[in-house]
Amino acid sequence: MSIDLELQQAAIKYKNKQKVKDRFISAFIGVFAIVWIFPIVWTIWTSLRPYKDVRAHGVFSMPKTLNLDNYTEAISRMDLPLYFWNTAAITIPAVFLTLFFGSLIAFVVSRYSFKWNVSLLLLFTAGNLLPAQLVFIPVFKMYITLGKAVGMPRILYDSPWGVVLIHVAFQMGFATFVLSSYMKTVPKEISESAMVDGASVFVHYSKVMLPLLRPALASLGVLMTTWIYNDFFWALVLMSTDSKRPITSALGRLQGEFVTDYNLLAAGATIAALPTLIVFFVLRKQFVSGLTLGSTKG
Amino acid sequence: MSDLNNGISRRSVLKGAAVGGLGLAAGGSLLAGCGSKATGPLAYGARSVDAGPTAQNEALIAAYTAKTKNEVKYNATESNAFQNNLSQYLQGTPDDTFEWMAGYRMQFFAEQGLLADLTGVWDSIGDQYSESYKIASTGLDGKQYFVPKSWYPWGLHFRKSMFQDLGLNADNVTNWDEYLKMLDGMKKKGLVGFAAGDKGGWEAMGTFDIINARVNGYQFHVDLLAGREKWTDAKVTDVFTHWAQLLPYMNPNVLDLEWDGAMQLLLQKKAGSMLMGSWFGGNFKEQSDADYADLSIIPFPEINPEHGRDTIDAPIDGWCVAANGTNNDGGADFLKFAGDMEGVNATLAAKDKDGKLIPMTSANSGQDTASYDPFQKEQLAVMAEAKYITQFLDRDTRPDFAGPVVGPAIQSWFKNPKDVAKIQDTLQKQWEALPPLA
Repeated sequence: MSIDLELQQAAIKYKNKQKVKDRFISAFIGVFAIVWIFPIVWTIWTSLRPYKDVRAHGVFSMPKTLNLDNYTEAISRMDLPLYFWNTAAITIPAVFLTLFFGSLIAFVVSRYSFKWNVSLLLLFTAGNLLPAQLVFIPVFKMYITLGKAVGMPRILYDSPWGVVLIHVAFQMGFATFVLSSYMKTVPKEISESAMVDGASVFVHYSKVMLPLLRPALASLGVLMTTWIYNDFFWALVLMSTDSKRPITSALGRLQGEFVTDYNLLAAGATIAALPTLIVFFVLRKQFVSGLTLGSTKG
Repeated sequence: MSDLNNGISRRSVLKGAAVGGLGLAAGGSLLAGCGSKATGPLAYGARSVDAGPTAQNEALIAAYTAKTKNEVKYNATESNAFQNNLSQYLQGTPDDTFEWMAGYRMQFFAEQGLLADLTGVWDSIGDQYSESYKIASTGLDGKQYFVPKSWYPWGLHFRKSMFQDLGLNADNVTNWDEYLKMLDGMKKKGLVGFAAGDKGGWEAMGTFDIINARVNGYQFHVDLLAGREKWTDAKVTDVFTHWAQLLPYMNPNVLDLEWDGAMQLLLQKKAGSMLMGSWFGGNFKEQSDADYADLSIIPFPEINPEHGRDTIDAPIDGWCVAANGTNNDGGADFLKFAGDMEGVNATLAAKDKDGKLIPMTSANSGQDTASYDPFQKEQLAVMAEAKYITQFLDRDTRPDFAGPVVGPAIQSWFKNPKDVAKIQDTLQKQWEALPPLA
C-alpha cells in the first residue's frame, strides 16, 4: 500500500517536473518565435503606414492613418506582371535544370564506383564554396567575349539565358551534394535488383532512382526557388536592360535616388515575398519529409 | 550634307518648333537643326527611377523624337544599382547615351576608353555654358566627354520660421565663431544644432569637404583627393579638430540615421541647421508647399579668413555617350539637343503627376533665373559667392577609394573621435595600397 502511494507520489512529482520543463521549453520556443516573427510583423505594420506620416512624426509615433495605399502604389510602380514574368523565365528553367543535372551527377557518383567518383563529388561541392563576388568579373568577360566571337553581343550577356546558366552552374554543387547524400541512403539492393533485371543506366536513373528521390527533389526545389528568386546580384551584373531583370530589381524601383520610402518598400517586399511562400506551402509536406528523410540512417 | 538631308532637317526643324511651341526655343533650334542628321534609333540609359527625373526625361525624349524622328529606347535603372554596375554596363552592351556625373567620376571612365568624345557637341553648344562647366566636362586628355544638365549646391539649410522664433538672423552667421555661438544657443533651448546622419557612409563626406575647403582651401582639398597631398598631413588633423567642435551640437545617433533621418529632424523643427545638398528640397515640397517655402540655404561659415567662403560642393549631373554603344553618332546628336536651350526648355516644361513644374537649376546659362522660386534663387546666390566649385568627395576622388575607404573611416571617427591619428594613418595607407589606374 505504502509502496503504491510512494510510486504514485513519485509519478506526480515526475509529472510536475515534466510540466515545468515543458513550460520552460515552451517559453524558450515562444521567445524565438517572437524574434523570428517580429521583423515580418514590423514589415507588414510599416507597409500600412504612409511615409508622409512617418516623416512628419517619426517611426515610433502612433499612426494617424493606416491604409493599403502603399500596396497599390507599389504594384503600379513595380510594373509587377513584367518583372514577375522575368523572374519566372529565370527561376523556373534554372531550378529544373539544376535539379536535373544535379540528380544526374549525384546518381553517377553515388551509384557507380569508378576511380574519380569521390574527387568528382568533392569538385562539385567545392565549387559551391566560391563566393559569386569573386568570380563575376571572369564570368562577365567570358559572356562578353563569347558574344563578340559569335557576333551576337546579347547571346549570353543581357539575356535571361545567361543568368539561368550561371545559376545552374552555381547551385549544382549544392544540389549534387544533397542528392548524392540522399541517394546513399537508398538501399544498394534496389539498384542491384534493377541491374539484375536488365535495366540500362538511364532506365536505372529515370525509372528506379528518380521516383525515390522525390522528397529530396521537392525540398531542394523549394530551397533553390527561394535562392534563385532572391538573387539580385547576377541579374544586375550580367544584364544591362532593366526591363529584363527579375522582381528583385523591381523592388529597387521603389527606392528613390536619395529618399527611401521604407513604408512603400515594405509593401513591395511583402508582395515580392508572396510567391516563395506559395511555393513553400504547396511543397511543404515534401519539404519536411525531405529534410528528415535519411537522417535516421544507420 | 546632301540636298535631301538639308530638306529633311529643315522640315524637321519647323516641326520641332511647332510641336515644342516654345517661342524662345525656336531660335536655338534653327541653329542646332543645321547640324542634326537622321542618326537613327538610339537607346537612353536613365540613372533614376524617381518620378521627377523620369518625367523630365520623357519630356526631353518626346521633344527630341518629335524633332528628329529618331526613336529613343528608354532603359531606367535604380540609381545605386546603376552606379555600382557602371563599369560592367559600359564594357557590355550599354545604351548609347546615359546619365552620369561630371568631374572625376566621368574622367575615370573616359581614361579607360569607355566614353565617346563629345568635342563636336561642345563645338556647337559650348557657348551656352560657362567655363567652369566645360572644365567639369573635360577629360584628362583635354577632350570633352560630358554634357551637363543640372547642378545643386551643398550648404547650410535651415527653416526661416525657426530662425524667426529663435530670434536669429541668418545673415549674421558668416564665420565659425558666430556659427558655434548660434549652435550653443540652440543647444540651450534643447534643440539639435547640426543635424547629421552618416549611416549611408557618404553623407558626412560633404562635411569633410566643406571644412577642409574652409580651413585649408580649395587647392589643398583637390590635391588631397587626387593623392598629391597626404592624409597624414597636420592640415587634415586640423579638419577633424574643427569637425569635433560640432560634435556636441549633433544628434547623438549620427551613425543610426541616414541623411533622411537628419532631414526629418529639420522638418520636425527638432534641429536648427543641416549641411546637405539642396536636392532634398523636393522632399519638403512633397510634404507641403508651406514647408518648402520655409526652407532656406546659406553658405557654410568662414573658418580661415585666407579662404573665406570661396569653395562650394556643387555636383553637376548630366550625360555621356558610351563608346561601346551601337550608335555613337546618335548619342552625340541626342546630347547636342539635350544640352541646347531647346532641350533644356523641353526638360523644364516637364510636369509631375500633380501637374506642377519640377524645379531644376539648369547648367545652361540660357535658363531664365527670373523663373526661379525663392529657394532656387538662394541656391544661385550661394553658388555665385563661390570662386571654386568641387563636385563632392565621392565624385572628386577614385571610386574605389571614396566609398570603400573614406566612408568607413569617417564612420569610425564618429565612433571614436579621439582616434584621428589612427584614422589618418589608415586613410593614407589604403590610398597607397590602391592598384594603379589602368
